[in-house]
Amino acid sequence: MKKLFSMIIKLIRTAVIAGVVGFVLTFTIYMTNAENKLIYFVVRPFLTKHYDKQARDRRI
Amino acid sequence: MKKELIAFIDQKLQKYDPVWMAENGVGGQRSRYRDDGTGIARYREWRGVEDTFQDYKAWLKNVGYMGAMVAKDPVKIMKGIWEYRWMGSFLGSFAFVDRIFEGYRGRELDIANIHGNAIVRILTLRIGLILHNDKRLGGGEMTDKMIGLDETIPPLFTAGFPTLNAEPMQTMPEFVVCDVDQHLDPYYIDVAESYGLAPDVCSRCSAETGVAIDDAFPVFGKLVLSTNQPCNASEATSMFQRRRFNSKGIEDYPFVFAMQHNTKNGNDYSKEELRQAIKKIEDVYGVKYDWDALFKAAKNMNHQNQIELEKWELFATPYSPLSGISESLYKLVEWALVNGHDAYFNEVDDKVIEILRQSVRDQYLPYKGKTRHRAFLWGPSAMYYTDFPTWTQNCWGINIVLNMDSTMGHNMIDTEDPEKALEDLAKFSEKGVMRHHAVGGWDNVNAVWEWAAKLNCDMVICNDNVACKGMNGVHALLEEQAAAFGFHFMFLPHDLEDCRTIPRKEIRKAVNDYMSIVMGEEPLDATLVDFDDAEAW
Repeated sequence: MKKLFSMIIKLIRTAVIAGVVGFVLTFTIYMTNAENKLIYFVVRPFLTKHYDKQARDRRI
Repeated sequence: MKKELIAFIDQKLQKYDPVWMAENGVGGQRSRYRDDGTGIARYREWRGVEDTFQDYKAWLKNVGYMGAMVAKDPVKIMKGIWEYRWMGSFLGSFAFVDRIFEGYRGRELDIANIHGNAIVRILTLRIGLILHNDKRLGGGEMTDKMIGLDETIPPLFTAGFPTLNAEPMQTMPEFVVCDVDQHLDPYYIDVAESYGLAPDVCSRCSAETGVAIDDAFPVFGKLVLSTNQPCNASEATSMFQRRRFNSKGIEDYPFVFAMQHNTKNGNDYSKEELRQAIKKIEDVYGVKYDWDALFKAAKNMNHQNQIELEKWELFATPYSPLSGISESLYKLVEWALVNGHDAYFNEVDDKVIEILRQSVRDQYLPYKGKTRHRAFLWGPSAMYYTDFPTWTQNCWGINIVLNMDSTMGHNMIDTEDPEKALEDLAKFSEKGVMRHHAVGGWDNVNAVWEWAAKLNCDMVICNDNVACKGMNGVHALLEEQAAAFGFHFMFLPHDLEDCRTIPRKEIRKAVNDYMSIVMGEEPLDATLVDFDDAEAW
């Protein structure tokens, strides 16, 4: 019984910590607009280079 | 206690709220941006504790929808991003949502985020489905059970084929994605023009043709229904696209609607066309049309339209927190893409109409009561400037109460008699996107004054698609009518999907000039009058 009780406490504590860490992390990304900066300045230029190199079949 | 704490924090942080900054002459919406034209804000908008957290929750939900799409089939999604340029553009979706709802607070923000989440949900579901079944990426269990539709054909009638799945061909590669990224379609337009297509044609048709030439359509199904909707220009682009579809082993079938869609003859013609299109699908896929399945979806559509009619009554009051892009983008997706196929949208409508009814009961004034003019936006809008209505409200207090495309087919569909249902469906389908009031005779175009008066508007803004040969002929007539009926009236030049011909900044200049020179008014937010967003998505 005691073992089960401590396991539940441990689970709750882990969930609370994960929730707090998750919130801090996602709210920081949200407020600093981090995902848009990453996509605009890093991901898209990389993808655009790739798209520009593609050989596409333009015969219709 | 909670209220006091929130009020305390709001007071301490209000100096970061762009609406407060504009009210106090110490900045505004553009203060968050670098002056580099990228449109990427240094930080997100602080809207006060409650609204910021509401927006954060909606953002998290969108992250969840996108995560779910990737998790369902990560390999195909990655392959899709690698294969299709337009998939790269969809990565700008988070910035897009921020941009269109900038400056929203309170109930306007509540509704906008309910709508925004619904739009992201359906788009991620449909993109996931298309890529999962794309033959080019390996195909899936539905590949041969999919029907390609021209994006301007309302898909409600396909609900009678419950074992098949109809997907609009151009919506993802060219249409909706132009809302998200203004720089995508110019690439496809250049592809079409470098192939020899004339540069002064409708940019939507040109971009679709470019997608076909660039071999950038996903490949699925056995049949594509092409169409003459919304206008004759579509016939030309359909001729180019059919070559690409045929080369992939997909048959094409022209599903043609009457141009004069207010006449009995026209309706009868469209009804027979609809009957033949159904027969064609039955023959190609070897399935029988299921009227009960159609009636089920038609009930969803009728429910949507009943709420729509009530919304128009509420929009006529000054108390509606639903307007601008929050209204028109949702309506476009719900009507043209969902079209009765997804009951989730009925739940969204039920939720939103409750907020609207409550707002009228409370005499709630949206946008903090800063609206100075109520405008009807007529004519097809610039796809590359989706946040235009947001800007008009934030900068000049012009509330776009309703948009022409939001008046699409709203007749009820019979849900018992197949013959009557077919007749209703034909009428409904003829009045599609960019068509109901843009083609079919002068009366359709000139209905703008009736709509504007019914919704208590004092202003009409008429989109002037410079490449639209049909609408070029009505300039002087509309100006005369505006003067006769006493509406403030402005033409807004744009090039539909080509942001280079008339950039967003030029569109804003047309409004700025009118508001400052003709109306003699001062902007609500001075930082929004003249800024550079040429490099923005």
